[in-house]
Amino acid sequence: MSEVSVFFLHGLAYAGLLFLVSAGLTLVFGMMNVLNFAHAAMYMLGAYFSFSLLQATGQFWLCLLICPLLLFIIGALVERFLLRRVHVYGHLHELLLTFGLAYIITELVKWIWGNFPQAVNLGGFLGGTVELFGIIYPVYRIFIFVCAVFVGTAMALILYKTRLGIILRAAVNDNEMVNALGFNVPLVFTGVFAFGAALSGLAGVIAGPLLTTYPGMAHEILIDAFVVIVVGGFGSLGGAVVASLLIGELQSFGVLLFPKLSLALVYMLMAAVLIIKPSGLFGEKQ
Amino acid sequence: MISQKKASYLLIAALFALGVLMPFVIKKYQLNMLTEIIVFALYAVSYNLLLGYAGLLSFGHAMFFGMGAFTVAVSLIHIPGLSMWNAVLLALVMTTAVGFITGGFLLRHKGAYFALLTLAFNSLFYAVATKWHKITGGDDGLSITRPDLHLGFTTVKMAGLTNFYYVTLVVIGAVIVFCWYFTKTAMGQTVLLMRENEERMKFLGYDTNISRLILFTFTGALAGLAGAFYTLHFQFVSQSAISVDMTTTVLLMTFVGGTGTFWGPILGAFVYIIVQNYLSDITDRWPLFMGLIFIVMVLLIPGGISQIILAIRGLFSGKGGRDKPVAAEESPS
Repeated sequence: MSEVSVFFLHGLAYAGLLFLVSAGLTLVFGMMNVLNFAHAAMYMLGAYFSFSLLQATGQFWLCLLICPLLLFIIGALVERFLLRRVHVYGHLHELLLTFGLAYIITELVKWIWGNFPQAVNLGGFLGGTVELFGIIYPVYRIFIFVCAVFVGTAMALILYKTRLGIILRAAVNDNEMVNALGFNVPLVFTGVFAFGAALSGLAGVIAGPLLTTYPGMAHEILIDAFVVIVVGGFGSLGGAVVASLLIGELQSFGVLLFPKLSLALVYMLMAAVLIIKPSGLFGEKQ
Repeated sequence: MISQKKASYLLIAALFALGVLMPFVIKKYQLNMLTEIIVFALYAVSYNLLLGYAGLLSFGHAMFFGMGAFTVAVSLIHIPGLSMWNAVLLALVMTTAVGFITGGFLLRHKGAYFALLTLAFNSLFYAVATKWHKITGGDDGLSITRPDLHLGFTTVKMAGLTNFYYVTLVVIGAVIVFCWYFTKTAMGQTVLLMRENEERMKFLGYDTNISRLILFTFTGALAGLAGAFYTLHFQFVSQSAISVDMTTTVLLMTFVGGTGTFWGPILGAFVYIIVQNYLSDITDRWPLFMGLIFIVMVLLIPGGISQIILAIRGLFSGKGGRDKPVAAEESPS
């Protein structure tokens, strides 16, 4: 019994991480219609920034604050100076650009930090364990889940309850009209992309102590995040929540029940969704 | 005056003749590189049929390349006495089947969705190749020996590079010419028109989904053939042949050469492999420079090298407008 609950909690922690990664991806995709292949590379960048900052200062809280901020700036620069320039050429070029960026970031990371895993060790309260319903469980995994819930709630509140959220959603529907009403839509889009990058950075910082920090981490999470988006439905925040939970738990229990098939399970889920409902569980019809 | 068509035939004949002469002119190391270029030229041409002609951006082309590469290696190891032709034929059958089945799933989506799904499928194939150690050799890869070629009346020794180079030149060269012919056929033109205005094609009574599936399967089989020759050339295959890096490679080649013309990607493969060889001599960071070149091209010269060449030719002949690229850049998003 306790084994099952431990695996359930593991699944929740991974689901939290998956949600943090895919939330930014799906936000940018839903708002700007850009599928950002560099998202996971930015997530990796966040993890490496955090690794270096943690070595220098030893303060994990500082990493949680500063690394997303750095990624926010990088994201804003990328949108303003690269992405916007190719926007006129159409969709294909935006994809190619983000793909090229991902490639360059990965190579840069290999160059600066080396092509080997770096372990991030947490001290203090977060690195410890806590007793929960009779199970000893690492605090950090619970922290990840709490973070994801916090970020998800904040995003939903901003999107659906604030004035900024209304402008954002309106800009998606008819960006020329919103522009004509006096809102600076290009700035809004830069903000959205930068916010997506910041989210990926946050996810990277959080992933560091849970998984190892190495140059292949971007590709690994990218596929899972893509599966989340496909299963949940393109551009749907609610879909990302449900799909993250599904895939997190599926991976966790997959290891427990069918160790050999654990990897294929995720793809099988994706294939099943594609056959039954190609637009994803919560996706609108394309 | 010779017509455009005749000029193309002359150019093809001249290139073949040049190819036949090459082993007498260049060193073995360079001949090695040339064989690689020919193999990758087919890979890039097949990719461009998707990207340039049909406007489908796939991040999963390596699954066909890798599938072809592994099919040849595995069948040569497990079926004793298998001839080279049959191994290559097996690779073609396998990749055609895979292309048909995966195409059925993947082509339900377009644009970004399609790109994402192809990447996911490629990762699935990569995962299988890595985990299925018994068959694919996992991280260790598979080594094979090139079987000799039986032509019925004589047997050609394949152990040496020169003989294999000629086989590659003739087979792959013929297939590339066939691809070129394909783009001129009604089917090839359908693909182009579909990208420009799918609604109208549907209205005219074309089943665009079937056409796309046929094209996808066809390009998959072509990539599989390239993969098969890749294994035969290096006499080794590892899971890197089916990794996303292999897709990145072909994407870079195609894009650097230019998606706007048929011959652009061939040029791209040529430039890519030579630049890569020289860059990797100078620096270990060559992928970084490749990436930078790619980004600069996406930003500034979206038509690749062929765009530059066409522009220069336009300057000299004074009729810049005549040679409109066959496959223009954007797809309607």
